[in-house]
Amino acid sequence: MSDGSFRRVRSIAKKEVVEFTRDWRTIIAIIVIPLLMFPLLFILFPVLLESEAAELDALELSIVIQTDGLPENLAENISMSGMNYTIESLPATTFLSEPGQDLERVRNSSTDAVLRFESDEEIWGYAILHLSTSERSNEARNRILNVLSVWENSEIKERIEQGGLDVNETLDPLRWDGDIAAGDVATTGEQSGMILSLFIPLVLAIWTYSSAIQPSIDMTAGERERGTLEALLCLPCTRMELLFGKWLAVATITGVGVLLQIFGLLFAIGYLATSSFIGVPQLSIASVLLIVLAIMLFAIMVVAFELALAMRSHSVKEAGSILAPALMLILFPALFTQVINLDGIEGFWFAIPVVNILLALRELLMNRVITEHVIIWAVSSVVYATLAAYYASRQFSREDIVTSLS
Amino acid sequence: MAKSLLSIRGVSKNFAEVEALQEISLEIYSGEIVGLVGSNGAGKTTLLRLMAGVYKPSSGTVVLSNGEPVMNMRHELGVVPESTGLYSRLTAWENIRYHSRMHGVKDSIAWARTEKFAEHLDMKDSLGRHTKGFSRGMKQKTALLRALAHGPNILLLDEPTAGLDITSARTVRALVRQLRDEGGTVIYSTHQLAEAQQVCDRIVIIHNGEIRADGPPQHLLDETGTESLEDAYVSLTLDQARTRKEDNAKESAFTGWWRRLFTPKTPPTTQEVIESE
Repeated sequence: MSDGSFRRVRSIAKKEVVEFTRDWRTIIAIIVIPLLMFPLLFILFPVLLESEAAELDALELSIVIQTDGLPENLAENISMSGMNYTIESLPATTFLSEPGQDLERVRNSSTDAVLRFESDEEIWGYAILHLSTSERSNEARNRILNVLSVWENSEIKERIEQGGLDVNETLDPLRWDGDIAAGDVATTGEQSGMILSLFIPLVLAIWTYSSAIQPSIDMTAGERERGTLEALLCLPCTRMELLFGKWLAVATITGVGVLLQIFGLLFAIGYLATSSFIGVPQLSIASVLLIVLAIMLFAIMVVAFELALAMRSHSVKEAGSILAPALMLILFPALFTQVINLDGIEGFWFAIPVVNILLALRELLMNRVITEHVIIWAVSSVVYATLAAYYASRQFSREDIVTSLS
Repeated sequence: MAKSLLSIRGVSKNFAEVEALQEISLEIYSGEIVGLVGSNGAGKTTLLRLMAGVYKPSSGTVVLSNGEPVMNMRHELGVVPESTGLYSRLTAWENIRYHSRMHGVKDSIAWARTEKFAEHLDMKDSLGRHTKGFSRGMKQKTALLRALAHGPNILLLDEPTAGLDITSARTVRALVRQLRDEGGTVIYSTHQLAEAQQVCDRIVIIHNGEIRADGPPQHLLDETGTESLEDAYVSLTLDQARTRKEDNAKESAFTGWWRRLFTPKTPPTTQEVIESE
């Protein structure tokens, strides 16, 4: 690339980034949302759930217990769980779980739940009638189940002791000896890499594509629609310089968005979990360099592909209606890749578009550099990126891009 | 005789089956204002785009005086397209600077030229403003400043006064004449004969992709034996003007079928329109 050519590409890219970031909505889309999305999801959402749970805990519920004899300690536990109850006799049904005449009063919330409890010498039978679409009724059912579980455990212990057996030996005859984590021979760094490999490639793929949509459209179909492209095409720059400058701008904007999102994701996980859950993955220099190469090849391919599709479109609306559904081309392979077993994986997987880079990232984050796989994904990715760039250059070379709707 | 700056030799331009321009030959000489006059769809914009190196001729050549195809020498040209093509989130000066940088001109030189012409166009105080709030006239003037900032030899203007108020249009025309007086060459596309007569030294009448007349206004009157340019134009373009087709977006067979599927086959009657309200 000559000095003049480089200067023009830089001017195009700089102008595109400056113009794009002058829109405050863009700043929200490329900085604020990626940065806050995962922290909000992982930190604020649990807080919201906790406050909802606390609200449910504070509820005073009313239930009906139908029984032919309720053990005294069970009745006490029910009272202590924030449930008021009235005792009735058992209805005449074949099974306790048949609602019978109680159906209506549970459905119309006259009572939050009905516990049927029947003694048959040493064995008890029970059923809970509840309305699964009501939060109060669900909560009543959960509280009853908890109380019954506690009562059942104490009953089991009592019976074991009555039989002259040791409770611990009887209930827990097989035990792990020592620290469970110590049995895993993988290092902390390898474990972190394993965890990161489950979501970093997915986030990277989806966000790279989706965050490139808006700038790609704005810099191609948007320019065409606003009538600014004609003036640009009159300048002494080649169509390839134009494509490269715009690619550089979209890649920069997308890169910032993806980096911020990964940063937000790591921050959220780090905030929620202990340091042993997520740490710094143990990566060799070769792995790091190959990760950078994989991301670059993926970005070249995706951004060139999006620019080409957007440039084919005559308007922003048309470009949006093509690029948004095309996300499926990334989403499905990305989800599919998450469930592929990497142990003993066949080489051909690393030649499939999109899948190859995502699998490569998974392997590399686990610090596995397998030469055969690296060669396959690198060569195939270069081929795909070249094809995407060639396709984009064909679109940018079309004469009709000069015409605008305006 | 003035030196030829731009030669259009036997140029034709086709878009699919439509022949937008047919065997056009034209010489543009130094220091003249050439008016391209024609109805909508006549081929003025296509010819301008060929001169600007945006389109490649289907046949023939568009070359500068040194014999180089215009496509390789775009820094010699300053172009103001009909849509002005300004970026609304950039200031007027940023728009100008972006183009002059692409032409390889230093900011200081571009600024000096911009300042000089901005004074003339009463735009000096607006150079630091975003173009989003500009009126049509201010946008047109900014586009003109942008086309002049790198010091082009030939200025191509596509309908430069379309949509402008009287004062702005006068200012633009005055600047064009001033540029000519300073030795500049301007190609001025318009469909207003009065304006062409007022501004241009030479008028080229284009109709249905062909040049029907080329010469000074008086020459056209003499050639057609008419007393006004309007009469001359009518006598030269008696055949019906074709519809503008070259810019129409191509549509796939499926897209066309889908569109027709949801389009009523007959126009609604008055009664149907009233009932639908």
